[in-house]
Amino acid sequence: MLIKLTGGTVYDPMHGINGEVRDIYIQDGRITDPPNDMPIHQVYSLNNKIVMAGAIDIHSHIGGGNVNIARTLLPEDHWANPLPHTELLRAGSGHIIPSTFATGYRYAEMGYTAVFEPAVLPMNARQAHMEMGDIPLIDKGGYALLGNDDYGLRMLAANKDQKAFNDYVAWILRASQCLGIKVVNPGGINAFKFNQRRLHLDEPGPYYGVTPRQILLRLARALHELDVPHPLHVHGCNLGVPGNLETTLSTIEGIAGLPMHLAHIQFHSYGAEGDRKFSSGAAQIAEAVNRNPNITVDVGQILFGQTVTVSSDSMQQYANHLHAYPKKWAFVDIECDAGCGIVPFKYLDKNFVNALQWTIGLEIFLLVDDPWRVFLTTDHPNGAPFVSYPHLIRLLMDRSFRNDMLATIHPDAARASTLGAITREYSLYEIAVMTRAGAAKLLGLSDRGHLGIGAAADITVYTKQEDKEKMFSKPDYVFKDGELIVRNGEIIKVTWGTTHVVRPEFDNSIEKELSNYFDRYLPMKLGNFKIHDEEMIYFGQGHIQVHPCRERNSS
Amino acid sequence: MSALTLILKKTPTQQVDVSPLIPENLTDLSKPEIGAIILVTGNQHVRTDTIFTISGDDPERLIFTGETTKLDYIGKNCSIGQINVQGSCGAYTGMGMKGGQINIYGNTGAFTACEMRGGLVRIEGDGGDFLGAARPGNQIGMMGGMVIVTGNAGARVGDQMRRGTLLIEGNAGNYAGSRMLAGTIAILGKTGNYPGYGMKRGTLLLWHSPNKLGATFNDCGCHTLGFLPLLLESYRSLETRFAFLPKTTGRARRFCGDMASLGRGEILILVP
Repeated sequence: MLIKLTGGTVYDPMHGINGEVRDIYIQDGRITDPPNDMPIHQVYSLNNKIVMAGAIDIHSHIGGGNVNIARTLLPEDHWANPLPHTELLRAGSGHIIPSTFATGYRYAEMGYTAVFEPAVLPMNARQAHMEMGDIPLIDKGGYALLGNDDYGLRMLAANKDQKAFNDYVAWILRASQCLGIKVVNPGGINAFKFNQRRLHLDEPGPYYGVTPRQILLRLARALHELDVPHPLHVHGCNLGVPGNLETTLSTIEGIAGLPMHLAHIQFHSYGAEGDRKFSSGAAQIAEAVNRNPNITVDVGQILFGQTVTVSSDSMQQYANHLHAYPKKWAFVDIECDAGCGIVPFKYLDKNFVNALQWTIGLEIFLLVDDPWRVFLTTDHPNGAPFVSYPHLIRLLMDRSFRNDMLATIHPDAARASTLGAITREYSLYEIAVMTRAGAAKLLGLSDRGHLGIGAAADITVYTKQEDKEKMFSKPDYVFKDGELIVRNGEIIKVTWGTTHVVRPEFDNSIEKELSNYFDRYLPMKLGNFKIHDEEMIYFGQGHIQVHPCRERNSS
Repeated sequence: MSALTLILKKTPTQQVDVSPLIPENLTDLSKPEIGAIILVTGNQHVRTDTIFTISGDDPERLIFTGETTKLDYIGKNCSIGQINVQGSCGAYTGMGMKGGQINIYGNTGAFTACEMRGGLVRIEGDGGDFLGAARPGNQIGMMGGMVIVTGNAGARVGDQMRRGTLLIEGNAGNYAGSRMLAGTIAILGKTGNYPGYGMKRGTLLLWHSPNKLGATFNDCGCHTLGFLPLLLESYRSLETRFAFLPKTTGRARRFCGDMASLGRGEILILVP
């Protein structure tokens, strides 16, 4: 079937198209060349409408153990927000941590077509993939957690050569069906198990004697040498600690020029100045990001209201548990593989620290020059639920609205911040970069995030409006792989997305030693640990798309 | 005016959520309007008049009759009027109730009067498990009001109860008053194992020694407690066996606990 989208104003940063009126043709789920003499089955007239590729969220907790525990911990969220089933949609519930079906519906209604789960514990990967397999409409993918796993730390402590470590990393990517590698508080989660409460970047861990910096360097190098497109996804040391700005800067400088993605950088940009020993480090961080082209960041913006923080960083979550609202929390250690900490949280605009966190996130957005290297996230649900993205986009695009909001927060925080003086307003083109093209480029998804010939037809169409929050919360049309799934902000068809993975080459002989380790220490056999393709396409709902590991940079 | 009576036409195949049918929702409605209220049963939405025959005109007095065991959430969040159930009922009867009265002439399912805040629930039969408890996952159960059970009660009676009174004329199951925060539970009959498990504060008033008591309860000996006759006197106006106890009752053996929790609770076992 041939579909024509005609007369829309196209924003396609991958091809430098900034608001040009163009026609787009869709055939068999792909964007194609203008056809000669072929009958066109459907025409959508998009005069005065904005056409972008489907949005991509590179960091949002949508599947896996921590999300499930958060759902169990917060039944009130589900009672208060029921989603009754309809002829088309399955029932669900929840607002701050929605159930799987609700997650897919809410994302698609906002024009998102791909979402990536940043904390897939290899030990729990099967459960994470099955849970994500229940999320309709959107594409999924995960980053496997390494850096606190017992086996990896043993390798580092024994100073195994980089080649063997690379094989292990590649094997984990393959076995857990993931698109990238994430490290959370490198070494810190492991140190917590030995009763330590803080681990600095250059401090040897308590048992293996490996420093967080060594872990970061070895992992970043492994991914670089394996040519995995997505760089090491880092949740650094000392999350949320006043003064952690120094740690973050040191992490950026110390990665030796290797590509690195710093997740929810807002939580890592705090100074320790002022009466309350808490200040904004946004300017220094943004400057460091601007100076180092190997660094990309996503912000992890906080927005005010009730949410729940879910993190594998059990060390920092434990430190925060006294602030839990409502007063309950959960911590889990998972087979010496990684951690898990759930702490419900309510961000208040009249609270100095929360208000300053809000300004820090926005400052980073506005002070990082290159929109290709900063990404729109709230670290859902840690900073705010993902449904608040349209509000966040309006804050970035509308300076007077931003200043109105700034006037309502804690006055000391507003005074301490330079936000009011920043005049930058994001353009539609820049929003398209940070939520589409940049994300696809960073993840190595060559056929997503743009509207070039051959790309997957993930397309979102908005009506141009002055109120950007309204505009981005209710797209006119959303196409997923060429099928119209949303019309006027309502889902009209339910499809199933793809799981994106990478499969770097590796020497399979490492399985012998790994197998011994599994037999001796772990609850399952190596054969059960590996997730097979047939499991991913269970019931025909899932698909796998393998992305090539790119050609080695000649530089 | 005669009581508004809802008669089940036939036994529903699935449990029916009748939470919209409470007096304050019905006061200004005509019979056809009441009949048009949408109820949920299984995964279906049905009109009230497809499963109930409606008669009478006083919504302040509501009567459910027929195969009422299939009805869940009777009197949910009810704050005025009186609801009578002519038979046993399903789960969550009187959940979150704030005022008024519910009379059940039969047994109730689990979670009766859970998270209740005020009013009176009278069960002329047995109460199920988790009577006056919190909904699963919630941290605070019953917060006020009174429940009278003329028969027996199930396990975990008053789990995480915070305020209010449970009067049980028959026996209670295991873990009565578990994780109690405050409030009073009085049990005339026998009690199962481990009453007061994890209780923080509150009072369990027993007329029989429990089978097993947790090791984390301290025996504080026998006392003549001045407040006991006053407490029992306050039940005189109620329609229950607690109204006819001898006026001299005042001596009790006191156990404090649960020391594994906050430990300010007490189990009083009355000495005859």
